[in-house]
Amino acid sequence: MKDQCCSSGPAEAKVSLAELPIGTKATIVGILPESRGRKKLADVGIVPGTELLIEAHAPFGGLIRVRVLETSMALHKDDAACIVIEKTEASVNE
Amino acid sequence: MSKKFRIVLAGNPNCGKTCIFNALTGTRQHVGNYPGVTVESKSGSFTLNDMEIELIDLPGVYSLSSSSPEEAVVFEELTKKGIDLIVNVVDSTILQRSLYLTTQLAELHIPMLLCFNMSDDARKKGLKFDIPKLEKYFGAPIAQTVGNTSRGVQSLKDKMVEALAKLDDHGMPMLSYGADFDDAINAVAEKIDALNIEKYNHIPSRFFAIKLLEKDSSAMKIEAMKSVWEEVDAQILHLKNKHAIVADTFMADRRYAMLSGACHNAISFSQEKRREISDKIDKVITNKFLGFPLFLAIMYATFWFTFICADPLMGYIEDFFGWFGGVVGDVWNPEKLPFVRSMVIDGIIAGVGGVIVFLPNILFLFFAIAILEESGYMSRAAFVMDGIMRKFGLQGKSFVPLVLGFGCAVPAIMATRTIESERDRKITIMVLPFMSCGARLPIYALIIPAFFAKQYQAFTMWMIYIIGVLVALIAARIMKSTLFKGEGEVYLMELPPYRVPSFKSLMLHMWDRGRMYLQKAGTIILLTSIILYICNTYPEKKEFSVDYDKKISEVQKAGCDTSALENAKLSEKLEYTISGRVGKALEPFFAPIGFDWKITTASIGALAAKEVFVAQMGILYAEGEADEESEGLRQKLVKHYTPLQAFCIMLFCLLSIPCLATLAIIKRELNSWKTAFVEAGALFALAYVSTLIVFQLGTILQIGTKML
Repeated sequence: MKDQCCSSGPAEAKVSLAELPIGTKATIVGILPESRGRKKLADVGIVPGTELLIEAHAPFGGLIRVRVLETSMALHKDDAACIVIEKTEASVNE
Repeated sequence: MSKKFRIVLAGNPNCGKTCIFNALTGTRQHVGNYPGVTVESKSGSFTLNDMEIELIDLPGVYSLSSSSPEEAVVFEELTKKGIDLIVNVVDSTILQRSLYLTTQLAELHIPMLLCFNMSDDARKKGLKFDIPKLEKYFGAPIAQTVGNTSRGVQSLKDKMVEALAKLDDHGMPMLSYGADFDDAINAVAEKIDALNIEKYNHIPSRFFAIKLLEKDSSAMKIEAMKSVWEEVDAQILHLKNKHAIVADTFMADRRYAMLSGACHNAISFSQEKRREISDKIDKVITNKFLGFPLFLAIMYATFWFTFICADPLMGYIEDFFGWFGGVVGDVWNPEKLPFVRSMVIDGIIAGVGGVIVFLPNILFLFFAIAILEESGYMSRAAFVMDGIMRKFGLQGKSFVPLVLGFGCAVPAIMATRTIESERDRKITIMVLPFMSCGARLPIYALIIPAFFAKQYQAFTMWMIYIIGVLVALIAARIMKSTLFKGEGEVYLMELPPYRVPSFKSLMLHMWDRGRMYLQKAGTIILLTSIILYICNTYPEKKEFSVDYDKKISEVQKAGCDTSALENAKLSEKLEYTISGRVGKALEPFFAPIGFDWKITTASIGALAAKEVFVAQMGILYAEGEADEESEGLRQKLVKHYTPLQAFCIMLFCLLSIPCLATLAIIKRELNSWKTAFVEAGALFALAYVSTLIVFQLGTILQIGTKML
């Protein structure tokens, strides 16, 4: 039920935000059109070109903590799966 | 006469806007609700030199779009006429994000003052701003203030005076979105100008043109502008073809581009100090293994603080009302208006007192919640708990209110305000009454020791609580997949850096909630106290089956105990009253779930407040003043009822609405009497059906029909 959000389309070729390990820095390449809150994401700075840092995963899953424009934002895996990114720098934090 | 001005405070969530608001207005505030939504409205007033200022604290938003109820409210408020000045509070440590909203506020062309908050943190971070340059860019003066303290507020006030003096002569520029985009905006703006809409003629049509091009839902709702939609679509198509853009976010893209240009030369880093203390704390608090136990410990501390520390205070309040009732009784001559006298003493003072007793709970609870919220822990707790709660159709932020529900549903429902998602908040409120609250405890405490052998007592109690929790979780799950089906909104939650809460904010927050509790729940309780009193008293029985008075005096002469006779008289009296009659009339309906008319009456009384059940049973079983420690009442209950019936009573009380105050608070928080009554009805139906099944099955299977 969970990973249906972006299972179709060209998404599989690229990496989505949901798949990144903690400590990765990445740049947003695009947001899939099926995302339910493109505008809301845009309003907090999640637009193509912005750099992100994966800070943490919630203990029981579900949420991912991301640093964007110097603010920590928690967003859900399903939504993160619609954010296509490109790794800029990988560090081994955990 | 002093001049009056209307100033609005706008800014992102967590930018310290409320601190600025508190520092400016002090206690001269009014907290309410925007009509039709659960968004809190805050306004206050203060005097500045000889000017009377009305200050409106808008909800914190990231943007002037309408992707949340808060944003819709902010859009609505800002497009109203009569705003003299916008004070835009920005967190200067994260300027680029904060100014995103500023670009949109500037488009309203209402005089604006920028308040760079957290300027001390920004300095510590090594940020330097070219203030004159930024002032020129936005056409707005900038005041620098310091987060949780009132430092810098004076300079803010000075700037306000300055800004208010030259309202007509502000130098706000039109921010450019780039050549082709500006052409599209102008084309739409021209069409809007042609419409000449009275309601919005104080705002440049450019603002609406941009919003329409973004397909902003608030702007799209404006009926008068529907005729320009065609032009809007044409322009979007044109831009799409030319720039290969995505329609709903290109304006956002342009704004970020605009800002990075503006900030490029105006902000400089002197040194990089990235790893903040906050991040270090979070390494522990939201840790995969430590996060959950720490959360439980903090919840336990909150619980302990609310219910243990407030306990002595509750005792004092209880004593006070007892004393107060006594004093009124002494002063008020029983000959004068005896009905009103006993109604005031036994009905109003006792009833209202019974509710005000919970005030310390409410105040302590909200003090604790304010600490959790303002320090930034609440969003961490939500982050930790989200995974578990989501499995049941709830979310991380639902957990705290649900736990508080074990104490009292009223403050717990008020605590759901921290849940931003309207749908999740609704579900949380709807299932909250299943959490067995403190008021139900006396019922269990009366019944369990009477009917269950010692070794089963703790287990029975535990089972009742667990049933409540399970029903709540299952109900949430069912509601999510039926009533509130469908994709939710995108979930976004900011985890602000940890901050030390200011004492002033904590006190104000606590006071707000306490006042709300007294006002709203108080009026309802006052009314029900009177109604219940009347129902339990009238019509008065004058002729009894036995001449009790004669018998009592006979027994008294013989020197024996008269209490049994007095109680029998009381019981007969009660049967004759409205409550008794209603109980009798409803008996056939309640018989299938194992209730006789006495339990029925008590259950109806318990609608007002669950504690009433015990008191009412005491009266009906002629034990006079009963509480959960009454041995006499327990013996009578055992004589009349089976353990199965006893369990059914507890189950029914657990599942039906806890009290009228809960109903009133549900109405208040969801802004609909209909929802509140549907909720009460649904709870009743569920309680009835569950109890029916348990009682009938138990009877057939012969479980609990005899004493254990």
